[in-house]
Amino acid sequence: MPAEMRLFVDKHVRYIQSLDTREDELEYWLTEHLRLSGLYWGLTALHLLRHPHALPRQEILEFVISCLHENGGFGAAPGHDAHMLYTVSAVQILATLDAFDELEERLPGVRQKIGHYMANLQDPQTGTFLGDEWGEHDTRFLYGALNALSLMGFLHLVNVDKAVDYIQSCANFDGGYGTGPGAESHSGQVFTCVGALTIAGRLDLVNQEKLGAWLSERQLKNGGLNGRPEKKEDVCYSWWVMSSLAMLKKLHWIDGEKLTAFILKCQDPELGGLADRPGDMVDVFHTVFGIAGLSLLQYPGLAEVDPV
Amino acid sequence: MAPKFYHDDPVWADIDPLPQDDGGLHPLAAINYTDEYSEAMGYLRAVMANNEFSKRILELTEHVISLNPAHYTVWLYRAKTLFEINAPLRDEIEWLNPTALKHLKNYQIWHHRQTVIEALGSPDGEADFIDSMLEHDSKNYHVWSYRQWLVKRFDLFEGKGELEWTEQMVEQDLRNNSAWNHRWFLVIGGRDGRALDEETFKREMDFAKRLVRKAPQNQSSWNYLRGLARHANSTSALKDFALEFADLSRPDEIHSSHALDLLADILATEEDQKEEARQALDLLATRYDPIRAYYWNYRKGLLEQPGAVA
Ligand SMILES: [Zn+2]
Repeated sequence: MPAEMRLFVDKHVRYIQSLDTREDELEYWLTEHLRLSGLYWGLTALHLLRHPHALPRQEILEFVISCLHENGGFGAAPGHDAHMLYTVSAVQILATLDAFDELEERLPGVRQKIGHYMANLQDPQTGTFLGDEWGEHDTRFLYGALNALSLMGFLHLVNVDKAVDYIQSCANFDGGYGTGPGAESHSGQVFTCVGALTIAGRLDLVNQEKLGAWLSERQLKNGGLNGRPEKKEDVCYSWWVMSSLAMLKKLHWIDGEKLTAFILKCQDPELGGLADRPGDMVDVFHTVFGIAGLSLLQYPGLAEVDPV
Repeated sequence: MAPKFYHDDPVWADIDPLPQDDGGLHPLAAINYTDEYSEAMGYLRAVMANNEFSKRILELTEHVISLNPAHYTVWLYRAKTLFEINAPLRDEIEWLNPTALKHLKNYQIWHHRQTVIEALGSPDGEADFIDSMLEHDSKNYHVWSYRQWLVKRFDLFEGKGELEWTEQMVEQDLRNNSAWNHRWFLVIGGRDGRALDEETFKREMDFAKRLVRKAPQNQSSWNYLRGLARHANSTSALKDFALEFADLSRPDEIHSSHALDLLADILATEEDQKEEARQALDLLATRYDPIRAYYWNYRKGLLEQPGAVA
């Protein structure tokens, strides 16, 4: 394989491992507000790189439990309020570690509690989900809730039809979806809406031709994908755009080779990790979404990723 | 700015700071803070545990926010405090303006602002504030979402200068997709399915066509134009307009891949024009948008199917 097509697997594994030992760096506590999600991203990246045990399982589990609240929700870090986003991350971590039974054994009844915490955040009027008791909403929360509830086998706790209606109301004239009705189409939001509809088994509601065309139009001449028309390319959209295309079975509508080359150019070949675009600072968020993108592109040696 | 500490401040002498409960001793959870942040958070946890709502809470939360604006708990507690003590909300907005400029991508600030403006019940001054935000990042998603919220909440659809402002934003940067989306929201999207009257439709078509002519290779203006036409079921009426930029008899002088795309769509629906449609798609796949060759070839495949309409 030519040098510029190489994925620096060991470097990336070490980069992710090092994230936990950087506690005395300023950047570490500045990202405290998304610690639990960061852990999920790191863990997922390791699974895709086929190094699933590179982070200590028991410690991860302890940390996740330390973020759990009495009400069944999880905060981003110990002492932070419970929020939908981090509850979803916690459930995803628990699913990755296959730890639901272990958790239940230690805290009997906890699964039901977590399920009800998320279900109670559904807005009975509109069908969408709130992020917390304060009422902010975004299709990210809706997708997250359906994803986590289906992982736990609790989809029956919510009104899926109503949630589907809400997603329909977020469809835009250009074929894409936004954070709410009328909001500009955005690749990340397209992913959350298509993902939620996939979980609900209602992809038939999507104008697949039109959305597929909009998604494939995200690819720029340099091979990278952008999030909105006339914006710059960014590695994280490799994931949002491609997983959406994969769910629509139209992955072949973009140029996979050019995209692979673009993602690989975003690596830090010395210290590991991927950045949003070549030459920028790496972070765990772009690392996992870049690697997940490569997995969808069937880059050799990576574990297969589920687009939902 | 010099770090601020509370332990030797008489105003806070009555508070015993609560240390962080990291849920036990495990390395992944042991979070090291700077001393300043760590102490401020200790005082915040203590006052929150006491359910204290007072003026000094506004100072304390301001301090914590300046150190870590993404900590959503702090914002929530600040909002609660504002309402509990009946704090002057205009002052809060004054304080928020520069804070928002410092943290353009922060989510919590917008939520907080919306809560405060809702309570104030007036959008006065918000347009100017938004302009100053957009000067820094004209496509900031939070700002545009917030603007939509204002339009809906205070019914600014008509006669409040919103349409003129949007036109100005689009003219300033023809490729600002957020501004185009806002225009759609004003004219169609935000109006709960109310039909578009003839006059408005014509005005918007002219508007979009004029701006397409200014920059024929611009996705945003074409999206808008085609969205309008589809909304009124009159896509085929755009054929002559598409031909202005993409005349198949002069394949070396195509001025817009978007015009080719539209033309291919229209030709595919016409009798005996399949060959021309194929030619347009070929030009896209091989010359004018080769990175999407797979997609254009797929569209060509659709032409084979009897009765296929794009
Ligand atoms: Zn990114």
